[in-house]
Amino acid sequence: MKSVVTTVVTAADAAGRFPSQNDLEAVQGNIQRATARLEAAEKLAVGMDKVVREAGDACFKKYPYLKQAGEAGSNQIKVDKCYRDLGHYMRLINYCLVVGGTGPLDEWGIAGAREVYRTLNLPTAAYVEALTYTRDRACSPRDMSPQALNELKSYLDYAINSLS
Amino acid sequence: MLDAFSRAVVSADSKNAAIGGNELAGLRAYVAAGNKRLDAVNAISSNASCIVSDAVTGMICENTGLIQAGGNCYPNRRMAACLRDGEIVLRYISYALLAGDASVLDDRCLNGLKETYIALGVPLQSAARAVGIMKASSTAHINETNTSGTNPDETRFRKMETIQGDCSALVAEAASYFDRVASALA
Repeated sequence: MKSVVTTVVTAADAAGRFPSQNDLEAVQGNIQRATARLEAAEKLAVGMDKVVREAGDACFKKYPYLKQAGEAGSNQIKVDKCYRDLGHYMRLINYCLVVGGTGPLDEWGIAGAREVYRTLNLPTAAYVEALTYTRDRACSPRDMSPQALNELKSYLDYAINSLS
Repeated sequence: MLDAFSRAVVSADSKNAAIGGNELAGLRAYVAAGNKRLDAVNAISSNASCIVSDAVTGMICENTGLIQAGGNCYPNRRMAACLRDGEIVLRYISYALLAGDASVLDDRCLNGLKETYIALGVPLQSAARAVGIMKASSTAHINETNTSGTNPDETRFRKMETIQGDCSALVAEAASYFDRVASALA
């Protein structure tokens, strides 16, 4: 799993050396930003159900055709799966905030996503709309501190860019 | 390879749950003690060659047969291999301490180590003893409780001169990684 610490350790190991001052400084930089990340992760975890519901609602509001026969949300089971997938993305973003890197999104969310969506004939624009809604809906200080919000939005943007 | 944070992520993923509340408390402890941890890693890596050579010397002092003809630290070529292995083990322990997780030590160092040593005829007990001495001196360096030993005139030992504080949790964690090596060789 890619994170600042594992990247540093992998580089040190490849060179066969003990952790150097540079390595420790890199880890310290990661630790200094960790408070904001963990705050964002916590707030996201607490509001997870609501965030997912609002994001899904926004997506079906913008693309109501999705609920027509033959489309990706033609029955309740399919609609539920859409909300479930959004829950997955939010959970992975929660993990990214904890790790302090895009490793969880890369490995469990983005790798293979394009192929899966193409095979299942799912529209990525709908996911983009849901994630964009979440990004623009989140605000500080109502939801979290400005720095925490910054961290959250950067991972939402990362997910959006991977889908668009 | 995992660190304290990705370990939490992997275990949360297996439960299909987001990380909140209790799991975050443990990670906040890692963050709060972050500088202590970096000082501890620095204490090991800055004194690495001292820790390793001291451990191998101690191991040989207790079992001088090792450097006599037919012993496993004779001739110099095998002594050099022994010192090298001590440094490798200590290096992976320093990685594990930095990451706050033993997976790098397990995956990259301990996996197959015992089998390799058996195949090469390396005495496992001696290797474990050297690791035990490295544990004692490393934890002393982290805790700054290292002393001149039995010789009161000895001045060639070093304190790290970091801010004094309670390092018991980190010392226990570091000790657990050394114990992990010892039990992998048992």
